[in-house]
Amino acid sequence: MTDIITESGRPETTTTAPPRPAAAVTRFLRRLPLRIVIAFVLIIEIYPLFWTLQSSFKTQAQFLSDPFWKLPTTLEFSNYVDAFTTGQMGQYIQNSVLTVFPSLALIILFGVAAGFALEVMVWKGRGTVLLIFLAGIMIPGQMILLPLFTIYFQTQLTGTLWPLIITYTATGMPLTVFMMATYFRAIPREIFEASTLDGASIFRSFWSVGFPMVRNAVFTVALVQFFFLWNDLLIALTFTNSQSLQTIQVGLLNFTGNYGQVAYGPLFAAICVSVFGTLIIYLILNQRVMKGLTAGSVKG
Amino acid sequence: MTTAAKRRSRRLIPTLALIGVGALALSACSSGGGSGSQKESAEFAYLSSDTNTQISTVLKIVSKNQCAAEQKAQPLKISTTPGTTVDQKLQLLAGQNALPTMSTASGTPDLMKQFIKANKIVDVTKALGSDSGSILPAAMSTIKQLYGTDDAYVFPTEFNIEGIWYNKKIFQANNIEIPKTWDELVDVSKKLNAAGVQPISTDGKDGWPITRLISGYLYRDLGTDAMQKVADGSAKLTDDEYVKAADAVAKLGADGAFGSSVGSIDYNGMFNTFLTGKAAMMYNGSWSLTNFADPKQDQIGQENIGFMPFPAVTGGKGSIDDIPSNIGIPVMFSQSKYGPKTQAWIKCIANNYGDLALANGGVVSGFKVTKVPDNLSDLTKLVQQKVSDTKSSVLWFEALFSAKRTQVSQSNAAGLVSGSLSGEQFMKLVQDAQ
Amino acid sequence: MKSVLGDKRAIVILVGPALLVYSLVILVPIFWSLGYTFFNGSIVTGFTFAGFDNFVKFALDPAAWKAFGFTIKYAVVLTVGQVVLGYLFALLYQFWLRKGSATIRTLVFFPVVLPTVAVALLFQKFFESAPQTGPVNGLLNAFGIASVDWFGHADSAFWVIVIMDIWRSMGFYAVLLYAGLVDIPDDIIESARIDGASGWRLVRSIVIPLSLPVLLSSVIFSINGTIKVFDSVLALTNGGPGNATTPLTLYMYQTAFTYGDYGYGSTIAFMLTLLCLVVTIFIFRSTRRDLTKG
Repeated sequence: MTDIITESGRPETTTTAPPRPAAAVTRFLRRLPLRIVIAFVLIIEIYPLFWTLQSSFKTQAQFLSDPFWKLPTTLEFSNYVDAFTTGQMGQYIQNSVLTVFPSLALIILFGVAAGFALEVMVWKGRGTVLLIFLAGIMIPGQMILLPLFTIYFQTQLTGTLWPLIITYTATGMPLTVFMMATYFRAIPREIFEASTLDGASIFRSFWSVGFPMVRNAVFTVALVQFFFLWNDLLIALTFTNSQSLQTIQVGLLNFTGNYGQVAYGPLFAAICVSVFGTLIIYLILNQRVMKGLTAGSVKG
Repeated sequence: MTTAAKRRSRRLIPTLALIGVGALALSACSSGGGSGSQKESAEFAYLSSDTNTQISTVLKIVSKNQCAAEQKAQPLKISTTPGTTVDQKLQLLAGQNALPTMSTASGTPDLMKQFIKANKIVDVTKALGSDSGSILPAAMSTIKQLYGTDDAYVFPTEFNIEGIWYNKKIFQANNIEIPKTWDELVDVSKKLNAAGVQPISTDGKDGWPITRLISGYLYRDLGTDAMQKVADGSAKLTDDEYVKAADAVAKLGADGAFGSSVGSIDYNGMFNTFLTGKAAMMYNGSWSLTNFADPKQDQIGQENIGFMPFPAVTGGKGSIDDIPSNIGIPVMFSQSKYGPKTQAWIKCIANNYGDLALANGGVVSGFKVTKVPDNLSDLTKLVQQKVSDTKSSVLWFEALFSAKRTQVSQSNAAGLVSGSLSGEQFMKLVQDAQ
Repeated sequence: MKSVLGDKRAIVILVGPALLVYSLVILVPIFWSLGYTFFNGSIVTGFTFAGFDNFVKFALDPAAWKAFGFTIKYAVVLTVGQVVLGYLFALLYQFWLRKGSATIRTLVFFPVVLPTVAVALLFQKFFESAPQTGPVNGLLNAFGIASVDWFGHADSAFWVIVIMDIWRSMGFYAVLLYAGLVDIPDDIIESARIDGASGWRLVRSIVIPLSLPVLLSSVIFSINGTIKVFDSVLALTNGGPGNATTPLTLYMYQTAFTYGDYGYGSTIAFMLTLLCLVVTIFIFRSTRRDLTKG
C-alpha cells in the first residue's frame, strides 16, 4: 500500500525488451505515432494556459475586437493592478486559504479516524454507519442549502467564514470516510491485532500504526478534496454575504460590472494570479502528489 | 395573513419537516426562533449589487455632505454581492427577516411583489410623507405599473427610456431616413444588408434586447394595455395578434438583420459591434449613455449616435410617443430594520439623488432634478429632455411575467431570430411557462 | 485483543466527530428539505401544505423530464469518455512512456486546477462563430466548411460541454487509473509476454481484468460527479440554447432560487438524489460481483 513502487523501482521493464538489430529508422517510425500523440497532448494542455496568460495583458478593446489567437500589442500591466485594487484579489485569496486549509485538516482528521473505526475496529452497526456515509456521496449540494442558511443564520454564524468551513468539512466527509475505509481494508488485520497484543492502546494503534500506513492515501484524499473545495462555487456563493468573505471562485464573478459588462483584462489577470499561484504550489508538491496518487489507488 | 401568523407558519414548516427525523434534528430546530426584531440597527447598512456602482458613489457623497447629520446618527456601511445571485440572496435574507436596512432590489418584479405582499419592505411613499414629490411622476407611474401597487416601494435610482440607437454616419452613407414604421425598418434592414452592413446589433445570450422588439411591436400594434391583458389572463400570447408580433421579429431575423450566431453574442459583444461601427442600429436603454461616453469603447463618437423611438406599426392602436421605460434595478428598504433614523436617511437621499446622479456619472434618475449641470453631453441632454417630455410610458415584454416565464422568454429569444423556433412555437413556450 | 478493537469509548471518539458533523450539516438539512417537498410557496411569502402536488407536477413537467434526459445522457457520455480516455492515458504512461511519463502526467493533470469560469471562457472563445471566428470554425473554414454556431443548437452545445469537461477531467482519471496499473505485479505481465501475448491482447486479457476494481471505482466516482454537473454548464451555456442543456441541478437551482418555488425545487433535488442512489447501487452491485469473480 505504501510507496513501494516508484519510478526508479522498475528499470527492468526497459531492459527486458530484447535488443533488436533493426536499424534506428524502424525504431523511429515505430515511435512516430507516439510522438505525434505526445505533441498533440502538449498542444492541447499548454496552449490554453498560454492563452489565459496573454489574455491578461490585453485591453478590453483588443479582447473584444481582435481574433482569438492574436497576441496583445501592448502589455497592460494595469490589469494586474486592477485585479488587486478594485478587484480585491488579495482578499479573495486570503479567504480561500483561510477556509480551504482548515476544512481540509478537519476532513482528514475526522475522516481517517472514522475510516479506521469503521474498518479496523469490531462493533455492531458499523456496516450501517458506513452505508449512511456512502449515501452522502449521492446528495446534490443544492438540496442542503436552504436549511443550512437558516441554521447558520439562527446560530449567528452568518457573516463569518465558519459556515464555509463547517459545510466544506461536512461535504468532504462521505467520500473521505468511504475512501479511507477501503484503504484500511487493504491493510492486513494482523498488524493491528499484533500491535494490540503488544499492549498498545487503540489510539496508539491508530496514531502510530494505522495513520503512517495510510500516509500516501491521506495525501491522495487531501488532494482530491482540495480541488473540490478550491473550485467550489455553489456553497461559497450561498454563504458569503459580503465581499470581505468571498473566495476566489466567487470573486472571479465580481469582474462583471454595470449591466453585465465583463472587464476581461482584470478578470484574466485575476485568473492568472489564481492559476499560476496554484501551479507553483502544485509544482513544488508535484513529486508528493503523483507518488501519493499512484501509491494509494482507489480499490473498490 | 398577518405578520405574526406568517412567522408562525414559517416556523411550522421546518418543525413539521423535522418530525420524521427525530430527536437529533430537534436540537437544530430549537436554535431557531425569535428573530425579526423591530429594533433599528446602529448602522445604515446598504447591500449593493456589483452590477451597480453608481448608487454607492452617490451615497458616499451624501454621507459626507448633504446627509452628514443622518450619517452621524446612523453611519453608512456598504457591502457588495455579485449581481448574478442577487435574487437568491435577497430571498434567503428576507426569509430570515434579515434584509439589510437598504439593499439593491430584485430585477424580477414578481419577486418584488412577494416582498411587498409579505410586508418585508418599506412603503417609500409613506416614509417620505410630504417629501414624496421628489419622485418624478413618470417614474412613479412606472413603479406602480410594475408592482401593481398604489404606493412606491422602491427608490427609482435610475429612470431609463428605451429605443433604437443608430449610427448617423452609416445612415448617411447609405442614404437612409430614420424609419417611422416597422415596415420601413424592415426595408432599411434589407438595404443595409445588401450594402454589407449588419443592420442591428443585439445580445442573444441575455435575450432581452430581442424580446423588447416583440413587446415594442405589440404596444404599437395592440395599444399600451397589450401586456397587461396577458397578465390579467384576458389575452394569451398564443392569440393570433400576439403571435403576429413574434413572427414579425422572427422574419426580421430570417432576413439577416442580427448577423450570425445571435445566441453567442453577449452584452459586451452587442455594444462592441455597434460602437466599432460594424452595425447600424442597436435596441437599448438610455443607461447606454455611459458606454457611449467612454472613448475606449466608443470608436464612432457620441456625436455620431442618434436616438429614435420604436417605429409604429401601420394601422396599429398604439402611438410612437409611448416610450418604453424602466427604473433599472432600484433599491429598497427593509421593514424589519426600519425606524426614525432610517426614515431621515430615506428623505435625505430622495431630496438629493436626482442632482447628484446626474452630476456624477450622468445618470438620469427618477428623482427631481433642480439644477442641470452644464457639462452634460448632447446625447445626455437629449435623453434628459425625452424623460421630462414623456407623457405615457410602457413596460417591457417580461415586466409582468413570473420569474420562470421571464427566464423561458429570454433564453429562447435567440432561437426565435435564428430560425430554430417559429413565432408560434416561441409564444407557446412562453405562455406555457407558469 | 477483541476487547481493545471493540472498545466502545474509542469507537465513539473516533467515529463521533465525523458522524456528528455529517449528521448535522448533511443529514438534518436533507430531511428538512424533504419536508419542503410537500409544501408550496416560498421562503418570502410562507408555505402551505400541498400533499403530493409537487411530485405530480414533476411527473407532468416536460422541462423536468428534458432535464432528466439531459442529465442521464451527459452522465453516461462523460463517464465513458472520462474513464476510457483516462485509461488510454494510463496505459500510455505505464507501457509506452514509462520513466518519462512524469512531465506528461503533470501537464495532463493540470486543467483540473483551472477555475471553471476561466475554462468556460476559453471554450466559448475556442468554439466562437461570431463576432470573431474561433479556431475551431477557422479550421472548418480552411477545409471549405461553413462556420457552425456551436452554442446555437442543442446537439452541438451538448458536445462542446462534453469536450470541455473531458478535457478538464481526463488527467485526473488518468492518474487515478495509472495507480491501478502500477499495482499490477510486473512478473504477471512478463510471464504473459513470454507466453507470446503482446499489444492489444496483453491489455485485453491481462491488464484490464487486473485493473478492473480500480476501473469500476472510477466509474462510480465519475457517474456521481457527472450526474451532479452544475458549475461547468452554468458557466459555459447557462443551460441554453433555450433549456436544451439544462441538467436537473441547474433546473432545481433555477426553480428554488430564481423562480422562488422551494417546494418544487426540493422535489427536483429529491428525484436527483433518487437517481444517484439507483445508479450507485446498480454499479456497486456489479462491482461486488466482479470482485468476487476476479
